[in-house]
Amino acid sequence: MIRVENLTKNFGSLEVLKGINYEIKKGEKIVVVGPSGSGKSTFLRCLNLLEKPTSGKVWFEDQLITDPKVNIDKIRTQVGMVFQQFNLFNNLKVLDNITLAPVKLKLQTKEEAQENAMRLLERVGLSDKAYAYPSQLSGGQKQRIAIVRSLAMNPKVMLFDEPTSALDPEMVGEVLYVMRELAESGMTMFVVTHEMGFAREVATRVVFMDEGQIVEEKTPDEFFTNPESPRLRDFLARVL
Amino acid sequence: MNLYFSTIALAMPSWMESIKQDFYISFISNDRYIVFAKGLLMTLRLTFFAAIFGIIFGVLFALMKLSRTKKGKRTVFSVFASIYIDVIRGTPAVLQLLILYFAVLPATASKELAAVIAFSINSSAYVAEIVRAGIQAVDHGQTEAGRSLGLSQRQTMTYIVIPQAMKNILPALVNEFIVLLKETAVAGYIGVMDLTKVSDFVVSRTFIAFMPLIGTAVIYFTIVKILSFFLGKLERRLRQSDSR
Repeated sequence: MIRVENLTKNFGSLEVLKGINYEIKKGEKIVVVGPSGSGKSTFLRCLNLLEKPTSGKVWFEDQLITDPKVNIDKIRTQVGMVFQQFNLFNNLKVLDNITLAPVKLKLQTKEEAQENAMRLLERVGLSDKAYAYPSQLSGGQKQRIAIVRSLAMNPKVMLFDEPTSALDPEMVGEVLYVMRELAESGMTMFVVTHEMGFAREVATRVVFMDEGQIVEEKTPDEFFTNPESPRLRDFLARVL
Repeated sequence: MNLYFSTIALAMPSWMESIKQDFYISFISNDRYIVFAKGLLMTLRLTFFAAIFGIIFGVLFALMKLSRTKKGKRTVFSVFASIYIDVIRGTPAVLQLLILYFAVLPATASKELAAVIAFSINSSAYVAEIVRAGIQAVDHGQTEAGRSLGLSQRQTMTYIVIPQAMKNILPALVNEFIVLLKETAVAGYIGVMDLTKVSDFVVSRTFIAFMPLIGTAVIYFTIVKILSFFLGKLERRLRQSDSR
């Protein structure tokens, strides 16, 4: 579904990604872990070109999206993204947050979009917040709505950039619950996180990144019980 | 002792009498209040039109300054807008007015038009900086979220960034117009009969300086106070919507 080849990214003289090769297949749930500064968020942000790769290629389905001629806006409608800081539109009510993109991009009529939004809000238990503003919501509620906002576009894959890192501890559970449900429904997911429990239970593959490279990739069982590289062993010893 | 007090008692009415007389000569006689009213109207007209064009071109220059190419580099428009803003903010408004009227526009151009253009140009540079700062103050995550959903740069600006920027911009914008109102006082340099020029004219006719000048100051002050009052109201309303 998404394939990257020799992906590199520099910020000035700092090499953040040093040649990544990877492929995400349909229905997979990839969880990426690693120390901060290892380049995992940058890797994720290169997948929908929110970050422009310095070199290398990214394919979405059969399209080479790093080609400057490609209409990236069109690709992004099929790639959902959830941010660490939620980034709900502060000037819009919850319902309008969800329906803005599908309606303005003429993918759904206003009525369809609202119906769809209400159904999704129901699913995450927040239908009573449809007419609230983001500033009236807790962090956990905001993030669940951010997920709904992405889902309203009917994406083929969802990217999660540390979705629980900005939450108070007691709100992490409600967001992970929604993500678990989403995984069970068959969504293709690419998740950067520090939640090892989530990686162990939900991932089909776990990727360990360090210093801009993929160091190790395994099934969750193998990953946690049988880490090979010393760097991963060291990392696991510190986080578990 | 008694004599001293009685002198003051006698002096008081004559002191008040002279003020009354000055006031009469400065504002009433020869229908001078009509001249003042015309001057005030001119000042308000200059401010109004300069404000309107200042906003239109200010927003335009702000968007130009923020424009980037697909590769993230500054566009030609951006560089042009930066230079324009820099030059206008780096030179006195009076000088811009004189240059425009005496050196740029044809000799037949109307004074009032020249003043409106000059103040519009001047104001647009300041408004552009206010608008630019307001847009940049909106969290970049808002833009990223919009773009990640497939909205174009333009749609993201229109539906998400600019509505939020307006909140940051409005108070500063009203403030800019208060400044503009007072700045139009230099229109007299090219002979426009605005409020300040009128007071100057009355001074030269009556040889009374204090009354017409102070009176004019009071008029400016009153208008500024009225504008500030509405600005305060506006700010309170904007703050309310923060905690809704």
